Amino acid sequence: MNLRLALIALCTIGVIAGHWLAFDFAPIEARMGVIQKIFYFHVPSAMACYAGFIACCVGSLAYLWSRKGRWDALALAGAELGLIFGLIVLVTGPLWARPAWGVWWKWEPRLTSMALLVLMFAAYWVLHTFGGAGEGVRRFAAALAVFATPNIYFVHVAVEKWKGMHPELEDKAGSGLSPDMRIAFFVSMAALMLLFALLFEQRYRMHLHARLVGALRRRIHRLGGDV
Amino acid sequence: MSFAETLALVWRKDMRIELRSKDTLVTLVLFALVMTMVFTFGFANDPQTNLRVFPSVLWANVLFCGTLGVGRTFAREARDGAFTALILSPAHRGAILAAKALVNLFLTAFVTALTTPILAVMLRVDLSDVVGLISAQLFLGAAGFALVGTPLAVMAVNARFAEVLLPMVVFPLVAPVLIAGVTGTASILGTIPEQDPRPWFQLMIGFDLVYLVGGQFLFDRMVTE
Repeated sequence: MNLRLALIALCTIGVIAGHWLAFDFAPIEARMGVIQKIFYFHVPSAMACYAGFIACCVGSLAYLWSRKGRWDALALAGAELGLIFGLIVLVTGPLWARPAWGVWWKWEPRLTSMALLVLMFAAYWVLHTFGGAGEGVRRFAAALAVFATPNIYFVHVAVEKWKGMHPELEDKAGSGLSPDMRIAFFVSMAALMLLFALLFEQRYRMHLHARLVGALRRRIHRLGGDV
Repeated sequence: MSFAETLALVWRKDMRIELRSKDTLVTLVLFALVMTMVFTFGFANDPQTNLRVFPSVLWANVLFCGTLGVGRTFAREARDGAFTALILSPAHRGAILAAKALVNLFLTAFVTALTTPILAVMLRVDLSDVVGLISAQLFLGAAGFALVGTPLAVMAVNARFAEVLLPMVVFPLVAPVLIAGVTGTASILGTIPEQDPRPWFQLMIGFDLVYLVGGQFLFDRMVTE
């Protein structure tokens, strides 16, 4: 418990520090200007989004093979967080693209694959949430999450031929960022990943408890009680 | 019973029922014709525009017909516990899936083969030189559709809102096939600068193979008795 409180405190400090570093400490980028600041939140959110979807995919595979409910809870928590961070990515992206590219949206590999990725896990989430409580639905949703993963590769390849123009950070091996920018970026990244991990753990435990409560309620009902 | 025997039995059963009742087939053909009409109403009869929109219209047709057909995959088994009986039988589940996918492929390919010439005539697009290429492409596309859609159609058996959820699930998953199809057809027709359709063929074949293997791998795990 104390560890969690300490982590929450650390995360809070990290998020605040990340904002200060991004907006005040890091220099304004020469070519793009102030709008480049979105990058300090856009990229970490994308990482958190991927982490959530990977958790969902791994949890789903484990659930399909072990049939243990906790893996399903893990997958659902991953999908939920991935969706939240994915929405942040899809909102901040166009905000940046409009001044930088002149348009809100381009059918470019990374944008298209991100949009479809979010759509697929949105389908997973809707199915899981509204599809009914049966095991069949859960297993089906799990299979869907597993199917979605190779698909991202194909979407990426398919759209790649329309020539990508998304800024590449990795290609320049960090040389695109000044040292001050890099500090701001890594602090933001660490803070958001910590936030992701904390929320993920909360959500996961919440789903486990919800399942336990549901099972207990059914049992009380069977015994003739009233809840 | 071997994989091939099970496959042949389930395929024969489904095809016999379908060819006797013809309900899915007739519905799909009529639906595709209505789609074709709606699309062709919308465009001016300017040959250049028609050529431009033809690939999108063609693949939209495949998409809608494919989704409708796939949704009915297990419709016959949904009643009277027939699906449970099929799944509980000692037959290889992968073979059942393969047979169902073949039925879906047949339906989609048949409807597409019927409506594509009509669409071409209505939009006055001359396909006579590229019939082979376009057919191969449509076949690969229909196969991709069947391979993704058939395992997902199990959902229709046990989820609520399945008729709304299925298209929502299938559309993003077949997006690569659609992109490859539309762009590939456009490159065959010469309406985009890249004139080489080969990468699009490769993409479709890769997609089909991955989902063929993935479906066989996962289907056993995703169905419940």
